[in-house]
This record gives sequence, C-alpha cells and structure tokens, in this order.
Amino acid sequence: MRSILTTPDALAPALAIAAAALLAAPLGCDRALPSPTASSQGTEAAPQQGGTMHLATFGDLRGGLDPVGTVDGISLGAIHLIFAGLVDYDDHVRVVPELAERWDIDDGGRTYRFVLRTGVTMQDGTELTADDVKRSAERALHPSTPDPNASAFTNLAGYEAYAGGKAEHLAGVVVEGRYVVAFHLDKPDSTFPQLLAMHTLRPTCKTAGDRYSEAWLACGAGPFKLLPDGWQRGTTLRLVRHDGYFRPGRPYLDAVEWTFNMQALAQRVRFERGELDLARDLTGADERRFLADPRWKGLGAMGADKTIYGESMNTRMRPFDNVEIRRAVAAAIDRDHQVLVQPSRMSVLTQALPLMLQDDPSFAGQRYDYPAALEHMRKAGYPYDPATQTGGWPRPIEYLIYDQGLNVYTAQLVQQDLAKIGIHIFFKMLSWAAFLSIQQRANASPMSQGNWTLDYPDPSSIFDPLFTTAALAPEGSYNTAFYSNPRLDDLVARAHLEMDETARRALYREANAIVCDEAPWAFTYGHHTFEMRQAYVHGFAPHPVWPLDVSGVWLDRAGQALEHALGGPLP
Amino acid sequence: MRHLLRRLGWSVFVVWGVVSIAFVVNTFVPGDPARMVAGAQARPADVERIRQQLGLGDPALVQYAHFWRRLVHVGPGVIDGKADPAHANCAAVLPLGASAVHIDLGRSAQKRQPVVDLVATRWPRTFVLALAGMLVQLLLGLGTGVFAAARRGSWLDRFLVGTSLLGISAPTFLIALVLQFVFARGLGWLPLDGFGTTLGEHARCLVLPALTLGVYGAAYYTRLVRDEMVVLLQQDWVRTARAKGLSPARVVLRHGLRNALLPIVTAVGLDFGALMGGAVVTETVFRWPGLGELSVRALLDRDGPVILACVVVTSMAIVAANVVVDALYTRLDPRVRSAS
Repeated sequence: MRSILTTPDALAPALAIAAAALLAAPLGCDRALPSPTASSQGTEAAPQQGGTMHLATFGDLRGGLDPVGTVDGISLGAIHLIFAGLVDYDDHVRVVPELAERWDIDDGGRTYRFVLRTGVTMQDGTELTADDVKRSAERALHPSTPDPNASAFTNLAGYEAYAGGKAEHLAGVVVEGRYVVAFHLDKPDSTFPQLLAMHTLRPTCKTAGDRYSEAWLACGAGPFKLLPDGWQRGTTLRLVRHDGYFRPGRPYLDAVEWTFNMQALAQRVRFERGELDLARDLTGADERRFLADPRWKGLGAMGADKTIYGESMNTRMRPFDNVEIRRAVAAAIDRDHQVLVQPSRMSVLTQALPLMLQDDPSFAGQRYDYPAALEHMRKAGYPYDPATQTGGWPRPIEYLIYDQGLNVYTAQLVQQDLAKIGIHIFFKMLSWAAFLSIQQRANASPMSQGNWTLDYPDPSSIFDPLFTTAALAPEGSYNTAFYSNPRLDDLVARAHLEMDETARRALYREANAIVCDEAPWAFTYGHHTFEMRQAYVHGFAPHPVWPLDVSGVWLDRAGQALEHALGGPLP
Repeated sequence: MRHLLRRLGWSVFVVWGVVSIAFVVNTFVPGDPARMVAGAQARPADVERIRQQLGLGDPALVQYAHFWRRLVHVGPGVIDGKADPAHANCAAVLPLGASAVHIDLGRSAQKRQPVVDLVATRWPRTFVLALAGMLVQLLLGLGTGVFAAARRGSWLDRFLVGTSLLGISAPTFLIALVLQFVFARGLGWLPLDGFGTTLGEHARCLVLPALTLGVYGAAYYTRLVRDEMVVLLQQDWVRTARAKGLSPARVVLRHGLRNALLPIVTAVGLDFGALMGGAVVTETVFRWPGLGELSVRALLDRDGPVILACVVVTSMAIVAANVVVDALYTRLDPRVRSAS
C-alpha cells in the first residue's frame, strides 16, 4: 500500500493514455463491415435438410403461442409455423388451399364447404379430421377464451348464441363427413376465406381439448412444433421440425430459434459474426451501412407494406369539421420528404390502400400540391399568405403523439408542412396506452397520427374499421376521425356481399376515391419490414402477410458439412 | 427491541403508502389495460370480454381491496392450481400445520402467469446484479477515493476526480455500449449480452452489467469518499497518528477511511435498495432478465398486478436497506450505540 500511495505523479498521465488506447483500439476498427459468411455452394445451392435458423427480436412474446390467445408480431410468426390453416395466403396475397384440398361456395355465399386433405398428421401424431376443425373453432370462439379476434366471426350462424353462452355448440360449423366441414354464415360474405386464413381458427391438436387453457403446449399441423422445454419465457423459443408435416420434404430446417429482448446493437454485432442468420431489427443507420456495401446489398429484402400511416383528423372537431381544411392538410404534406426518415422501411402512401392492394395505377389519390393546399385554405375561409405569413387557422391545434422514434420524426415534418399553409400544431406526447385511449375517444383529440396494420390483405380490413359509421364508438373507436358517410357505408356493405371479384374491386375503388377526397385521414406512408440475411440462407423472402415464413428456407453455410462430419461446431 | 418494532411498523406503513399511490396512479392514468392485452386493433366486443376475464370490470376500490386481501392470507399447505383455482396464483411461504401462509400478487394480464412466479424468478437475478454492481462500485469508488484523498492536489487526484466526473455525467446506456464494444465486440473476452444457462455462463454474463453499474456508481463514491477523507485527514487525531510513526496506509485506512464510513454506509443502503428495484437500462441493454426489465414492460403494457408487485418488492428492499443501515450505524459509531 505504501508504494502505491507514494507512486510518482507520472503514473496518472500514463494511466489516462492506457485507458484511452484500450477504448480506442476496438472502436477504431468499427468502420468496415465484415464480409457475409459464405455459402458453400453459392447462389445455385440445391435445397438441403438440416441446420438451425437463429433469429433475434427486440421484443418479447407478449401473449403466448396459442392461436386463440393474444398475439403480437413475434408470436404470430411462431404461430404461423406451428399451426397450419385450412387455407392460407400465397406470396401474391391470394387465398389458397392449405390443409383443405379444395372448397366450394354455396347458397349465394352463405356456405363455405371445405374438403380436407386426407392423411394430414398433427404434431401429436393423430390425423386431422373435420371434427378437429369444428372443435378448434368452438374452442376459439367460446366465451371463456381470451380471443381478441373472436368477433371477426360474428357472421357465423349461431355465433351470438354460442358466444353468449346460450348454446353448447356453434351451429354454423357443421361436420359433414370425416374430411368435410361446412361453415354457414348469416349473410353472404366474400371476405370469409380471408378471415379463415388468419390464425384464429387454425386446427389445434386434440390435446388442446374443447376449452382454452394457458397450460396447453401449443400443437397444430404446421411445419414446426414446440417441445415441452422449447419456450424459455423472456429468453428463447425453439421450434423443431414436424416430421409428419403434410408437404413432403418440408421443412428443410431442423429447427428455428428466437432470442428475445436483444437490442439492435447486439443483433447487429451477432449478425456480423454469423451468430444470427437473419437480422430484422437493425437501426436505420445500420440498414444504410449494409445497403451501401456491395457485398451485402443483395442480401437485404424489404417486405410488403402491411401498415398504413396518416394524419387522422377528427371530422367532428374544429377545424377539421371543415372538409376544405382536411383537403388542405392532405395536399400540404410532402410525402417524399417523410419517407426520407427511414427509406428502407417507408414508402409514399397517397391513398387508403397499401401498395399490395392497389389495383388502379391511374388513381392519383392525395398528392403533395402546395398551391392546391393554399387554395383549399382559401375555400375553407382561412386564406394564408405565405409571403407575409399571415392568415390561416387562428389557433394552434393539439396533435396527439406517442413516444416512438419514427412517429416523432414524421410528426415534426407534418408540423413544418402545415405551418406553410397557416395551420400550427403543437404536440401532446403520451405513452402508447394513453395515446390509444384518448385518440379513440369521441371529441377528445382534433388530430393525431393514425396507423393501421392489415388484419388480412383485403380492402375491407382498412375501410370497415377505419372509415365506416359502424366502427364509431364513444370509447375505443377505431374510426379515429369519427368520419361518417352513408355512401361509403353502402359501398363497403355491398362489397362484403359481392361475390364477383371484379365488381367488388370496383366498389372499393369508389370507396377509396371518397376517402381520399373527403380526407378524414391525410395518408402519408406505408411501413414495411427490412431484413438482412446471410449469404448461406436460401429460399427466404419476406412474406406479404406473415411476420415469418421459413418453411421453404434452407441453410448452406460454408464449413457446415465439415462441422457435421466432425460432430460439433468448428472452432 | 422497541426501536426495532417501531421501525418495522413504519416500514409496513411506508410500503402500504407507496403501493397505494402506485395503485391510484395506475388506475387513473389514461389507458385501458384490457386494450393493451387485447391489442391496439382488437374489436371493442373482444376488448370488453377480455376486460371481464381479467377482473378489470370491477370498481377500482374492489380491485384495491382484493389486492390487499389476497396479498398475504392463509390457505392450504399444498397448492394445486388446477383443483383449487382460488389459490392458483399463490405461493406458500410459511407452513402452518395443514395450512400455510400464502402470498398472492395476482396474475399478469400480459404474461398470463402468477406474478409471484415472475417475481420469484427474476428477483434473485436482480439481487445478484445489484450485489455485484454494488461491490464494483465500492471497490472502485473506495479505492480511487482513498487514493485521490491520500494524494490530494496531485496528478493522480486530478485524474481520478476528472474521471469520476465523466462517470457521473455519462448515462448508463453509454457506459454499457462502450463496455460492450470494448470487451465483447472488440476484444471478445465476454458475452455481448444474455443470461446464460450454466453457472459459469451466468457469471460471465454478469461481468459487463455489473461493471456498467459499478463504473456509473463508483464515480459518485469516489467523490464522496475523497471529500470526506480530505477533511478527516486534516484532523488532529490523524496528525497525532502520523506523529506516532504509523505507516501512511494505516493512517489513511484506520484513521481516515473508518471515520468516513458513516455517510458512505448511508449512501450504500439507499443505492442498494434502489438497485433492487431493477437497473432498468442496464438490464435492458444486457438482456439481463431481472425486475427492471419486467417492471418497464409492465408499465408500458399497463399490466397492473406486475406493476404493483414490482412496487412492493422495491419499496420493501429500500425499507430493508434502511433498517440494515440503521443497524450498521450502531456497529460503526460507538456514539450511536451508546445513545441507543
């Protein structure tokens, strides 16, 4: 102790220099990205069995892995791998047969009859039959089940009685044979196959029983299954191949493993090291770095826009009860400017329908047009003179916002754009829970950022909840603009009944035109995922609907064959 | 004994007060817990059904009374949640013949697990992290504080005080990121984050989060110890000790540091109690699955039972730390002992 305490003063600068060098050495090497981990056979690699795909997420599984429980983006990806549906969405968002071999429509759209594939083995080893389909539907829609999607099926015959506890069975689901099941509806509904393709009514193993139980080990007919110790809550989830999967040879992977709660930096570092096969939560800056590197650029993939964003204007509160003010806002927002916030995940949105549902290239929708915006302000009775910066709406308007990165940045751009037409907004920043509560309450907020993720890829998933009179409620209103238009209501209702796809599309085109013109929302951008894969990950493409689909993915990592022969990982 | 009982009585009152305030805030702040469980896009009818299933349809006072009535109660000695759903969320903590004292913190609305299980799993992890972080804080803080005081006005003093200013100013997430870059990404000596599955892995995973807490907190202790010691080392009894020919180390440690310990012990007690509430940022950055990460998610999700459980644990930890500090005073300072 004596010698240390009497150390000469020269030690201090030496210590400082040493500490600085220790910090600087690794940080200084942080500029260049490493090369992607190579594929042993290159881009022409043939599909091969084996390997575990490693993924990480920023968040955690909020609910669980039961398709009838509460789900989020992470659990939905896993549920899609564990449970197969009677029908599913293909890569072009068409509904296609999955566990059902085929289906037909009777009674003018009131009956959907499905013929199941024979010999489908569930993950508990039993064969899938029509009884399983009915039992699973009744389990999902039973009043004791915490299913947040149950009321999407109110059109099923007998739903009200069953969900109200007045009937023991769901009359609308009828087993007509070992492999034939019919769904009877109260009214014709062209969107029913879309609803059925969602996760909610996917057949469960017999181990699930008739009623929801939190203790049940998720079990379905999908390509991957959950083992008893497969889910370490808050830490990891591991699904292994279901050898009895009904598609021969699939899946290729032995297992898929998620690590939860991993920060973006840790994900990036692990991805660079080859410890993650797919990076999904990179920061905007890191995405730009990868895309700027020619070795990595071809390995990035953008998903489809599943979420639309816009400025929701309360049509029952001033000044947005004036349609010209709403039109002015819609014309004043420079959407090209907005998407620069995160170009790899945002695309310009000028109408209610996201890109994957747009079918009329000639439709202009809402466009940035500054002179037109000023003209709308004049028509509204609040002319604004940009030269003198006088006029416009006389009072500042409260704009509701929640504390989440992207949202905060785009709101500031909206604020700047609207100031140029004489509308001044100020922010009221809230938590997500408080934001939802106030935004969805009548007469509580004149303006807020609206966003909506497609429940299923169909225009009805946008128009029904966001813009119809039926969606209005004093509390918990989806229709956050509190917008009502009888013509729109009529178009949307007719579209549900219309079984001809061309005629149905025409109805939605008119609905789209009304919403864009009357502007309860000023649509701004669509949001999609961005994923970076390793070079040895083959057969992967972001699915337009599901958060994760790896049933056709195979790995071909350089050294993997040698590793396998040696019986363990290479040093 | 009377003093101790009085302290315990106050402790119970403090915990009750803090938890009640948390209950009121959580109940009346805008936001619908049922909506947060069901999801932002769940239909109103589904949200309402889930609200009833979670018991959130009851008036706030009923929920409040239910929480306290269930918190500590007597139930069967062996808990079988399936056969006896009334005690499905309980943990038996004290056998009483065929019965037992139960603790029931409710059921997490989001995670759909008994909260007592969640807390029982996560509390020891937070305890270990808090303990390790506090040890690093004390080792670094006491060491550098003593050196700085012993060499007051020197380069070493200025360097250590300057470094401690950096440590106090830097937010924990920045310290965490620098440590991750240096020791995990750059040098590859330690895991980037995580918790591990074996004892060895737990230990390796603990190093960086403990260092993060340690570096951040040590800066404060450096300054505290130095300032206390600088004053003490100028006292007459220190001069006397030096004149008697005692070694500098003995003078500094025996006659300086020991007398500087009282304020340090106070600070340690308060800091340790606060750390037991979970080092939110550190746990999140390092994916250390403790109470901090749990409580933040519960707050964002408006998961009432978990929020209240975290408040109970944190307030009890702070109260317990204060009781321990009181007890240590009597050990460290004969004047306090004789007054007691």
